[in-house]
Amino acid sequence: MSTLDVLLQQVVNGLALGMMYALLALGFTMVYGIIELINFSHFSVFMTGTFVGLGVLNLMGVTAVSKSLTGLALVGTLVALFAATMAATGLLGVRIERICLRPLRNVSGTAPMITTIGVAFILINIMLLYWGPQAQRFPQLLPNWRWNVGRAEITFKQVVLFVVGLVLMLALRHLVRSTTLGKAMRATAQDPDAARMMGIDVDRVVVLTFFLGSALAGAGSLFFGLYYGFTGYYIGYTTGLRAFTSAVLGGIGSITGAVLGGLFIGLTQSLGGQLVGVKWTDVIIFSILIIVMVFRPSGLLGSRAPQKA
Amino acid sequence: MASGAVLLDFRDVHTHYGALHVLKGVSYEIREGEIVSLLGGNASGKSTTMKTVLGLVRPSEGTVSYRGQPIHALRTSEIVKRGIAPVPEGRRVFPRMTILENLEMGRYTRRAEAGGEEELDRVFGLFPVLKERRHQLAGTMSGGEQQMLAIGRALMTRPSLLCMDEPSMGLAPRLVEEVFDIIQAINRQGTTIFVIEQNVNMALSIAHRGYVLQMGEVVLSGTAAELLENPLIQKAYLGGA
Amino acid sequence: MTALVQRLGARAGLHRWRALPVSRRRRILTPVLLGIGLAFPLLSGNSGNVDAAANAFTYVLLALGLNIVVGFAGLLDLGYAAFFAIGAYGYGIAASGQLRPEWSSAWLPLAWLGQVSRLAVPGGPETVQFHFSFWPMLAVSAIICAIFGMLFGAPTLRLRGDYLAIVTLGFGEIVPVVARNWEGLTNGAQGLGGIHTPRLLGFDFGFSPYPYYFLGLGLVALAVVVSIRLQESRVGRAWMAIREDELAAGAMGVNHVHYKLLAFAMGAAVGGLAGTFYVAKLTTATPDMFTFPVSVMVLVMVVLGGVGSIRGVVLAALLIAFLQSVILQDLSEYVHVVGRLVGSDFLQHVELITSLELIFGLILVIMMIFRRQGLWPTARQVSALTRDQQAAAPGRGSAVRLSWARPAPAGAAGALLEIAGLRKSFGGVTAADDIAFTVRTGELVSVIGPNGSGKTTLFNLITGLIRPDAGSIRLEGHEIAGLPSHEIVARGVARTFQNIRLFNNLSVLENLLVGEHTRLEAGVLGAIFRPPRVRAEERRAFEGALEVLEVFGNRLLPRVDHPAYGLSYANRRRTEIARAIMTRPKLLLLDEPAAGMNPAETLELMDLIKALRGLGITVVLIEHKLDVVMDASDRIVVLDHGVKIAEGAPAHVRNDERVIEAYLGRRRRAA
Repeated sequence: MSTLDVLLQQVVNGLALGMMYALLALGFTMVYGIIELINFSHFSVFMTGTFVGLGVLNLMGVTAVSKSLTGLALVGTLVALFAATMAATGLLGVRIERICLRPLRNVSGTAPMITTIGVAFILINIMLLYWGPQAQRFPQLLPNWRWNVGRAEITFKQVVLFVVGLVLMLALRHLVRSTTLGKAMRATAQDPDAARMMGIDVDRVVVLTFFLGSALAGAGSLFFGLYYGFTGYYIGYTTGLRAFTSAVLGGIGSITGAVLGGLFIGLTQSLGGQLVGVKWTDVIIFSILIIVMVFRPSGLLGSRAPQKA
Repeated sequence: MASGAVLLDFRDVHTHYGALHVLKGVSYEIREGEIVSLLGGNASGKSTTMKTVLGLVRPSEGTVSYRGQPIHALRTSEIVKRGIAPVPEGRRVFPRMTILENLEMGRYTRRAEAGGEEELDRVFGLFPVLKERRHQLAGTMSGGEQQMLAIGRALMTRPSLLCMDEPSMGLAPRLVEEVFDIIQAINRQGTTIFVIEQNVNMALSIAHRGYVLQMGEVVLSGTAAELLENPLIQKAYLGGA
Repeated sequence: MTALVQRLGARAGLHRWRALPVSRRRRILTPVLLGIGLAFPLLSGNSGNVDAAANAFTYVLLALGLNIVVGFAGLLDLGYAAFFAIGAYGYGIAASGQLRPEWSSAWLPLAWLGQVSRLAVPGGPETVQFHFSFWPMLAVSAIICAIFGMLFGAPTLRLRGDYLAIVTLGFGEIVPVVARNWEGLTNGAQGLGGIHTPRLLGFDFGFSPYPYYFLGLGLVALAVVVSIRLQESRVGRAWMAIREDELAAGAMGVNHVHYKLLAFAMGAAVGGLAGTFYVAKLTTATPDMFTFPVSVMVLVMVVLGGVGSIRGVVLAALLIAFLQSVILQDLSEYVHVVGRLVGSDFLQHVELITSLELIFGLILVIMMIFRRQGLWPTARQVSALTRDQQAAAPGRGSAVRLSWARPAPAGAAGALLEIAGLRKSFGGVTAADDIAFTVRTGELVSVIGPNGSGKTTLFNLITGLIRPDAGSIRLEGHEIAGLPSHEIVARGVARTFQNIRLFNNLSVLENLLVGEHTRLEAGVLGAIFRPPRVRAEERRAFEGALEVLEVFGNRLLPRVDHPAYGLSYANRRRTEIARAIMTRPKLLLLDEPAAGMNPAETLELMDLIKALRGLGITVVLIEHKLDVVMDASDRIVVLDHGVKIAEGAPAHVRNDERVIEAYLGRRRRAA
């Protein structure tokens, strides 16, 4: 394969990866947009989602050694898997907000963020204690079909995940742009007091935002499991930091920004891994994070630059 | 003029911001069909009054009742559902939403009911410029246009009480005239209006009755005519003879 | 529960203890604690315990270091382990066989000093063998880490709390990744081995825990002393001012860039010490020792003990070390037993030590929700004044005497402040439109105008909080427009804020002492070593504060040790004005000082302001209580919509048509 082919391949890989980061970044950016909180626990919810998915599949009789599915069985299983997992992670996010964050709603400073760090650690360690430190195999639901597009190879997995991700994002976009509820969410993000004066129940909007954001994290978590074929208690951390960078890069609080940021970071990871070596991609991504935060905190598309304290 | 039933009854309200005693036993009432103006200089407590009515601030003592029902312990969203619509100080339109979307938010408490289209037409009738620019983002409009939007937004539920907090703030004098003309027109169509204002002359030119706040207490009250002729008003604002 | 503790405490004489002044308590505690520390190895009898204690000292050092950054200066550093790593690897590389550069004569001086050796390599050029001595490396580590502290801290200077934390987290992540991947320097994931142990006067520390125990004890004692000294110094007050309210700190002359970098540097230096010590004891360093969970662990210690509380973080660090090395092992045994009784497979095999991070998470969540100030919040630094000192001034405060004030010579009133062509717009709104006026020395000028006329913006422009778009502001003939606020303060301009910006968790006295920041000189070294010059300076500062407090009669003197958040509204105002006076201003800008005060308090305040004039302090006042303003002012400037619409004597301004119209509004045209 020539260099161009290799790069093209990495672009394909990067876009698929980027979709996962985008889904994760979306939930994160939505929560920040509404209550200006950096929610560390978001990425542990993501990690928990993979285990929930594992459990759901086991319940349905699909295990790590089962064969992949096709046709109606595949579609049905996928729908059930996504629905169940997203509902579960959504609810987890809602409980976290209720128990750990709402008491701190009026506290300024970094206390709420520190709390989310604590929640993240709790979730990670519950999973660690329960499942053990070894990686768990994730059932290979999707058959291993491949096609050659030009000189690059695209797998069925990548196509499915990309399409599912796109569908979810378009659904979110529709919700936020065209439904009254979505507009109420935007209004609350822009001016919570004015939103209250319109009769909007801000507390409920916050709960809804957490639900949606965490559900999307659940979808992203299934991407991880289906794509990589494994999961472990530690995956939330590295994937999370990359998704976080995506959200910041795209502009924190901006939904389009999260998507574009996710795709960019996905590309950076795969192309960077190819050009500079896998072990340095994290340094590159963290450097992007630091540079954006220092020189352009509002990101590429964000309108909400975090104020000086 | 014949006074209607009491719509809003603000009685003996004390409010504190931390250690600061902002409202010290303020009482006033607003009757159906009226325009009532609450006047006062800076630091008089006017805005706190509005916030207390809307439930954004809780009184430490006293009651606020609407149509006889106490509302001072309710959440803002509940209060608004009962028919009180605010035009906040500084407009507070949603900057990254279009005019149409802002108006839609105004209708939020009655979004499930029919009649939204008619209200929208009514608002466009009052403010043709909003109709022209209905897909424009609210944050890009001038102060005067935002004020129109804020008023229009509040009218979308056909409220029984319209609460306006300093509608003249930041507006050029000609625009202020226009805005007060519109307020009068809305009142003639049947809406009771509560205007908090710093601009005494403008406010009293359209109000039926008024109250003057100074340092958290009501120092003067009466019909607009009485107040306009009262030399104490100048003293309340500027001090001295 | 608290009632029970109170009764037990009372039984133990706790309130008598608390009544002792801080310095007495310290003089009693220090030898006791030192005694316990020194005797512990003998008392414990078991070298395993001593070893655990020596390791615990590492934790205590880390906690003290992070406490400087997070606790004193209020900067949330989530990547603190980076400095632990740099200190560790710094010594590790210098004292092991990792680096083997080629020999050249440049290395001779170090060879003479015994830090390196010349090594013959069969079949190749001679190389240098590093074995730098531990003791100078302690200092070198601290210095290198201080530099990195400033490097990592510099990008965060303009960021808000959350974002600052994330950037530090980013750096905290980069360091172990670099350590893992730069194999030439660090031997990658395998880590460094064969690190030389310290030698003192020919004695090699080797692998016995006892010398490390005493070394650790010494380092901890040093860190505690440095922390206490810093906390009670000009530097510490500057940090706490920044932590409480950065804007107000700037308005009192504190240069936030300088002090934030200093906090990062000091915190990092202590982290570096901890790293060097730890690695010298362990004789190995791997990247996994410095990952994010380690940073979180240090944060947990600080949060648990009490952010900013020296005794709190020390106790919390010891507790966590104890938890880790003792309790969890034993507890696991019990859980296994329970598991066997209950027949649970999971319980029989669980090792609670792996759930340490779970406990950390729980601690963070529980502390943040229920006890944000920590388990042992900082003890009060300031003692109440003696009865004599409290009674120093009569009730209402009368003759205002300030030793540094120089009353203006009669008749020679020159221009103190000259404003010309001042313009400022925000978005589309013009807050200041071609404003011009002059304030002469010794005058009392009031700026009035309806809401939104630009009065506070004017103050913000004069004090450097915002930069004008055009125009000039001259103080005593020198241009000050565009200078940073702390410099303007140093030149003699002080202000108070419309909504009172006190340092809420600091006492009244500490608030005032921050005001004196620009008139004092002690830096870090002065704070730590406290030479006679610094001690005299602090004494003078204290006396200066008392002097200003006396101006307010008996209102503030009995409350010098009260935290600012607990004061009445009027006293908060007074404290803020006192704090501004402490900067020894030539020009004092007061933004609505009488707001919220009753008529009697207002009169008292106006008397004070008039008295300040007699001392040569020129006052510019923003006020809404116009009868008061009319009575006290020499001149009045009226603003409306950012434009100066009138200026002159009170009687003239009061009857000016335009002024009346600005306040009451134009009469409406006939409909």
